[in-house]
Amino acid sequence: MSPLVLVAKKEIKVAIRERIVVALGVIITLLLAISVYAGFLSYQQQKSVIEKTQAEKREEWLNQGDKHPHIAAHFGTFVFKPKTAISLFDFGLDAFTGTSIYLEAHHQHEFMFRPAQDHSTMIRFGELSAALVLKILMPLLIIFLAFGCFTRERESGTFSLLLSQGVSMRSLVWGKILAFCLMLSCILLPFFLCTILLTAGGESSNILHDLHIRTMLLIVSYGAYLFLFIAFAVWTSLHAVSGRNALLTLLSVWIVLTILMPKVVANVSENLYVLPSMRAFKADIEHDKAHCLDGASPRSARIARLEAELLKEYQVDSVEELPFNFEGVMMQAGEEYSHQVYDHHFGKIKETFSRQNRLSSIASLVNPYMSIQNLSMAFSGTDIYSFIHFEEVVESYRREMIRKMNNDMAENSKYGEFYEYAAGSELWHELRDFSYRSPSIWSILKNYTLEIIGLIAWLALSLIFLFQSGRTTKPLYD
Amino acid sequence: MLEAINLTKRYGNFTALNSLNLSVNEGDIFCLLGANGAGKSTTINLFLNFISPTEGTAKINSIDVTKGPEETKKLLSYIPENLKLYPNLTGLENLDFFCGLGGKKYSTNHLTELLTESGLQPDFIQKRVSSYSKGMRQKVGIALARAREASVLLLDEPTSGLDPKASNEFSSLLLEMKERGVATLMATHDLFRAKDTGTHIGIMKEGILVEQFASDDVSFRDLESLYLKHMHN
Repeated sequence: MSPLVLVAKKEIKVAIRERIVVALGVIITLLLAISVYAGFLSYQQQKSVIEKTQAEKREEWLNQGDKHPHIAAHFGTFVFKPKTAISLFDFGLDAFTGTSIYLEAHHQHEFMFRPAQDHSTMIRFGELSAALVLKILMPLLIIFLAFGCFTRERESGTFSLLLSQGVSMRSLVWGKILAFCLMLSCILLPFFLCTILLTAGGESSNILHDLHIRTMLLIVSYGAYLFLFIAFAVWTSLHAVSGRNALLTLLSVWIVLTILMPKVVANVSENLYVLPSMRAFKADIEHDKAHCLDGASPRSARIARLEAELLKEYQVDSVEELPFNFEGVMMQAGEEYSHQVYDHHFGKIKETFSRQNRLSSIASLVNPYMSIQNLSMAFSGTDIYSFIHFEEVVESYRREMIRKMNNDMAENSKYGEFYEYAAGSELWHELRDFSYRSPSIWSILKNYTLEIIGLIAWLALSLIFLFQSGRTTKPLYD
Repeated sequence: MLEAINLTKRYGNFTALNSLNLSVNEGDIFCLLGANGAGKSTTINLFLNFISPTEGTAKINSIDVTKGPEETKKLLSYIPENLKLYPNLTGLENLDFFCGLGGKKYSTNHLTELLTESGLQPDFIQKRVSSYSKGMRQKVGIALARAREASVLLLDEPTSGLDPKASNEFSSLLLEMKERGVATLMATHDLFRAKDTGTHIGIMKEGILVEQFASDDVSFRDLESLYLKHMHN
């Protein structure tokens, strides 16, 4: 048996016999199990409610009875963000953005931009999830497990006997790392296996067609993140003058990385790139809808221009003579104008979010916790960019719905005829049921280049440091 | 074989070891005597490459310990004054682990035999080291030295604090090693043990080897007088 394996074996045996470490391991395992179980229950409950309500709303739409298409456009419908099983791993922004949106004519209701009312995206985290346990608590277990791996050898005097056996420092360093990796694997492997089983297949794969890739990426990225903590803890223990120093250093770094820095970055980004209040946001939209984005042509002027163009094109003297209902065309033109207004204002909000996230991405170059935080949400489909994609698909569906209503009004009713004309079930069926497929993880990951670079760079750096330490032949007595 | 050539260790202005020249051949037991701070442990630590020499060379079987640290350590066995083992492992597990690190794999029966032969009470073999006395831990060290079958033995005051019976058992180890042709360098305060088991004796004072001779050339009384003379000068 190689010295490396022997050291790993000894390290595991000693750790198992230290009850505190075992107790900590059991606590973390229980927390993981609870988070997965609670997450799965919550997922099943939400999924069932969403599916049931979505089906009810669809039925309501289809069976709304005969009515004017514009009344139907205001009757509207609801769309619910489908829940995927992998989101039970990391709730991400799900809790802060809501799960449903009301679709109707003239208004793009807020859905994903609810945080604009009060908070920015990254302020409030803390719900017990598997991601939280892995991101914050697991590093703590690693610290308690590994802080004394070398200092204890020195303090207890076993280090000199160990080194006098002719074992290389490299074997000692990597043997201890192997031991900690194996110990963590005992906790993580069953957990990841459960996650794979719970998230695999089913309806989630209809929404996330690359579910398996996402799951694998989650495992790999968390593996890399936790390895960083192992490497750092072992390296610190090797170089610290005492176990107390090693523990204090590691705990300080843990606090800065997982608690202080994310909060500071979130607050700085919120202050640097300020989101408007929901009231101001809505008021601006209403103003621009009533007037004009450039402030030059109010609604009445736009309608008059459209009327003149159509009268000229069809060579008629009044809108009543047009071969379609002018009111339907006017409605659609109004909608299309409001699309520009919404796109403009929502675009500005997205830009602000993007800037805030950019700061978080830059910070992740120096903080692996922030890398894994953003990547974890991305892989779980609960990040801001996944929400933006969902919102765009929903808005596209709303526009399709309103266009169908307006077109039907223009084609089948007469000018001035409102209560006299009623469309029926045939028109309601023309609107397809809402369905959603999330974008591929690769397209989402384009937004997280810095996070990936950060994690890889830290990994490379930690390996360099460990190899460098492994070359030391002195037991630091000189 | 152990060889020190102009071996010097300085810590700033303080010279812990000054131009030490000595050689310990196969079957020799070289006992270094001296007061605390005389440079005995520094010499041992230099041969172990735990510290770097400021000048000179320490060689084991003609290999410079600074150039082949792992290679030279494979050739030696080391027992410090207060042998520390892993308290959560049993004596047997400790022995198995350290033997394994040195590339030796023995059956549990053989390891048990080694521990028993080294004087460890059989009912303690499977007990955790946390319940061991200093003497018991030293006996695990003796078993380890036997198991490693090293050609060089470095001992840093190994009998300090041991009861007479345990010290006597320790002497048996030294004689066994001598018969096997092991070169032994032992730092000790124990004049009696040095005269009784050593083949050569060196007296160190303030980092300098002030005297060295074959132990057969002096009586115990002469040795004591010589030692005290150097200590008082």
